[in-house]
Amino acid sequence: MNRRFFIKSGSIALASVGLSLSTPLSAPGFLQRAVLANESKGGKRKTLVAIFQRGAVDGLNMIVPFGESNYYDLRPAIAIPKPNGSNAETAISLDGFFGLHPSMSALKPLWDSKRLAIVHASGSPDNTRSHFDAQDYMESATPGVKSTSDGWLNRYLQSKKEKEASPFRAISMTQQMPRAMQGRAQVLAMSNLSNFAIRAGKSSASVQGGFEAIYSRDKSEMLAETGRETFDAIKYLKEANPAQYKPENGAQYPQGQLGNSLLQIAQLIKAGVGLEIAFTDVGGWDTHVNQGNARGQLANLLQQFSSAIAAFHQDLGQRMDDVVVLTMSEFGRTVKENGNRGTDHGHANAMLVLGNSVRGGQVYGKWPGLKNDQLFEGRDLALTTDFRDVFGEVAARHLGASDLKSVFPGYSANASKFKGFLS
Amino acid sequence: MIAAMLATQTLVTFADTSKTAKKSRLSDEQRIIHVLNRLGFGARPGDVERVKSIGLEQYINQQLSPEKIADTVAENKVKDLTVLEMSTAELYAKYPQPGQLLRQLQQRGMLAADSNNPPNPQDEKNRKVLEEYYQQNGLQRPQRIMAELQASRILRAVYSERQLQEVMVDFWTNHFNVFAGKGADRWLLPSYDRDTIRPNAMGKFSQLLLATAQSPAMLFYLDNFQSVSPDMNRGGGMRRLANEQQQPQRQRRGINENYARELMELHTLGVDGGYTQKDVQEVARCFTGWTIFQPRGGAAAVNAIMGSDAARRQAGTFFFNPRAHDDGEKTVLGHKIPAGGGFKDGQTTLDILARHPATAKFIATKLVRHFVSDTPPPALVDRAAAAFTKSDGDIRETLKAIFFSNEFNSPEAYRAKIKRPFELVVSAIRTVGADTNGGPGTHQWIARMGEPLYGFQTPNGYSDAAESWVNTGGLLERMNFGLALAGNRIQGTRVDLAAKLNAPEKSKLIDESLKMIVAGDISAATRETLLKQIDETNADTAAKVVGLILGTPEFQRQ
Repeated sequence: MNRRFFIKSGSIALASVGLSLSTPLSAPGFLQRAVLANESKGGKRKTLVAIFQRGAVDGLNMIVPFGESNYYDLRPAIAIPKPNGSNAETAISLDGFFGLHPSMSALKPLWDSKRLAIVHASGSPDNTRSHFDAQDYMESATPGVKSTSDGWLNRYLQSKKEKEASPFRAISMTQQMPRAMQGRAQVLAMSNLSNFAIRAGKSSASVQGGFEAIYSRDKSEMLAETGRETFDAIKYLKEANPAQYKPENGAQYPQGQLGNSLLQIAQLIKAGVGLEIAFTDVGGWDTHVNQGNARGQLANLLQQFSSAIAAFHQDLGQRMDDVVVLTMSEFGRTVKENGNRGTDHGHANAMLVLGNSVRGGQVYGKWPGLKNDQLFEGRDLALTTDFRDVFGEVAARHLGASDLKSVFPGYSANASKFKGFLS
Repeated sequence: MIAAMLATQTLVTFADTSKTAKKSRLSDEQRIIHVLNRLGFGARPGDVERVKSIGLEQYINQQLSPEKIADTVAENKVKDLTVLEMSTAELYAKYPQPGQLLRQLQQRGMLAADSNNPPNPQDEKNRKVLEEYYQQNGLQRPQRIMAELQASRILRAVYSERQLQEVMVDFWTNHFNVFAGKGADRWLLPSYDRDTIRPNAMGKFSQLLLATAQSPAMLFYLDNFQSVSPDMNRGGGMRRLANEQQQPQRQRRGINENYARELMELHTLGVDGGYTQKDVQEVARCFTGWTIFQPRGGAAAVNAIMGSDAARRQAGTFFFNPRAHDDGEKTVLGHKIPAGGGFKDGQTTLDILARHPATAKFIATKLVRHFVSDTPPPALVDRAAAAFTKSDGDIRETLKAIFFSNEFNSPEAYRAKIKRPFELVVSAIRTVGADTNGGPGTHQWIARMGEPLYGFQTPNGYSDAAESWVNTGGLLERMNFGLALAGNRIQGTRVDLAAKLNAPEKSKLIDESLKMIVAGDISAATRETLLKQIDETNADTAAKVVGLILGTPEFQRQ
């Protein structure tokens, strides 16, 4: 690994975000290290994008088990009709038993090209129906244990220490640091890349210069290293000029927070800044009232959700070889619709896994059935896959985690329980 | 002179270890700055001189008896924050949750019911109804409660003369953490601050512990309000009560161990405190029936306005429900608790825990970490724990053992702690003598740096160690905060730098600013850098200089 190679890689990375380099750019130290880290392992940087659907998405209307007659018996007003090719308001068949919600048609091509896998009847074995507790359990990945202080993604980062990791190694595109990312390992949380700057109006540049000089003076100062990293990152983002970003391959991100977040994550991946873990979330799924069927509240949300993911996939193109998108939600919703054409808090749910390396085109997990006597506590989709087996498979087979014990304390996540959506 | 005064304290033996003997002692002025930083939220202009004239030991003793310190300025600052004085029932009535209010209105026929649907507060028509109802009846949105409570914390930390009291309120609020985002907790937190934490912050630990155990905020946060004996008699009246206790969704009935576990792991013994899973179960049994009357306020808002329902006065308060209590015999940490104890079971448990040696050690460790160093010196922890035990858990006596210790007053401890965001914001406002209303402008900065008040989800509370606070995102926001404060870009907070720094010449301006903000404790190199960076002198120069100094590594420390 020589310097010339690095400069080359660095320029490739920068060029990819639409930079024209009139002057040779001295790439920040973290970027050099990111490139070094990638190359030394002889492979490209793997990235996980985790999306949390907060509020508990109705997995049974997202991935519709249209082959179950009880699904239609229990949901007279809100069921998604069986696939009917000529009717755009019916489920989109995946395998003759399960179908996509019709507003998720953007994901169908990814299913057909075997890049989208689904793990149904998955979730948390704890039977709490509190959003707060269930999100807590899923993000800490310790169902039933509230005192776990860090999140599973942070524990993964801790388990695979990188010397002087890039400040962009783990990013949460959220205002606040989510539970899943909290912990000892460094993670950046920001809702907008452009805000990552010194903000002092007209004198921003000179003030930044001042801080830089101050923080580079005393190398024994423990804050100095962090200070230097901060300015490297600021300068890098400024050069990359996130506001100027143009998605590739004709990708069109939908308006809204999830589209925005995924667009910025795509930008960081292309910039080659060493992004390994990205997290974002999207709310509004708590559809107790007037959930709708092929149209309505949930349909609108699913449309936004699926078109944002599809745009992300399209934008990244071949880079999806090294990226996996994983979606999750704290619990599922009742099989039976309630008195308000909505659904209440349930149990198992469906997770989506997407990427070029995913063995897609298949619904994974044992299907427990929806007959009344097959329901969990007489009302909910039963659980057959612990979410930690899904997380664990992604951590081990995509990210290359070797110490799953420390990522999932108190749980034995191992290959024998993996579903096989990654090889 | 002050050193001589302190040396007369029995607990102090200065420079008796070879390690500190080599290093010079703190100067008198440094010791004052150290005490103002650690026992409070940093110096305001003139504070160092004030403490000098009072005498350092005297000042520390005054701070240990906050009840004797007049505090009119701070009390005036918070007097318009009405939620501070309101009972939980009044809060439910005045700050109703929109969805709940709509349901109540519909039940009373004050809102047309369309079909069987419960009303959706997002619905256009309902939004208007709500808007009008809130306005006509002088009601406010629930978000307002936390905004005012946070403002009170900031205002008191900035303006109170009882600085140590505010530090201890922050310490215990964090030790006994409650998350405002969980269910009813936002209505329960003003009482938690006023009735649970503040009166006990410097008293006996056992009383503080009992107060938290009985606080609706903690009972709700850690689910104990739902914990009932599995063989609870479900009579008619009880069913109604039980329904109200439960979450809207179907809920498992029975014992909930959450509080019992955290009580031992986080509030008293510590995770290695020697308890077993069996102890958790037994403690949980002891606390069955410790619950909240109308934990979600019932129909408080509508009742208050319609003038009915006498019970509303008690909504959201603690009560012991004997019918939900498991009255069998229990064994807690080897102590037998005989059957039929009722409410006393919980009290006995708290007594056992408060007086357990592991608790003394655990609390002493946390206090030493907070006041002295991220790596608490074991010898000092032992002495603080001994003081805790000897005084039957007297917080004041434990603090004394720390404040008058060799370790606390050592050069190693000086500016060795990284300020947490709340501490940084408050100390910055104090050091430049800014005036603030403690409003959302300040809350947002604290949140952006990673420490939203009452915003920590899990029961362990915010970390008190530097590693949790030194990261790129957080550091950037710290720098930006200083710039925003000095540039008067924080809504509700104003500083008049021109009045405080009357120096037309730049090196003088820099020196005055350095003296004001970091008491001149800055490397020559940094001063040199500042001199180089400031080339012009104009109206904005002071803001730039002060902004930069607030963002230096030196000011991040205390």
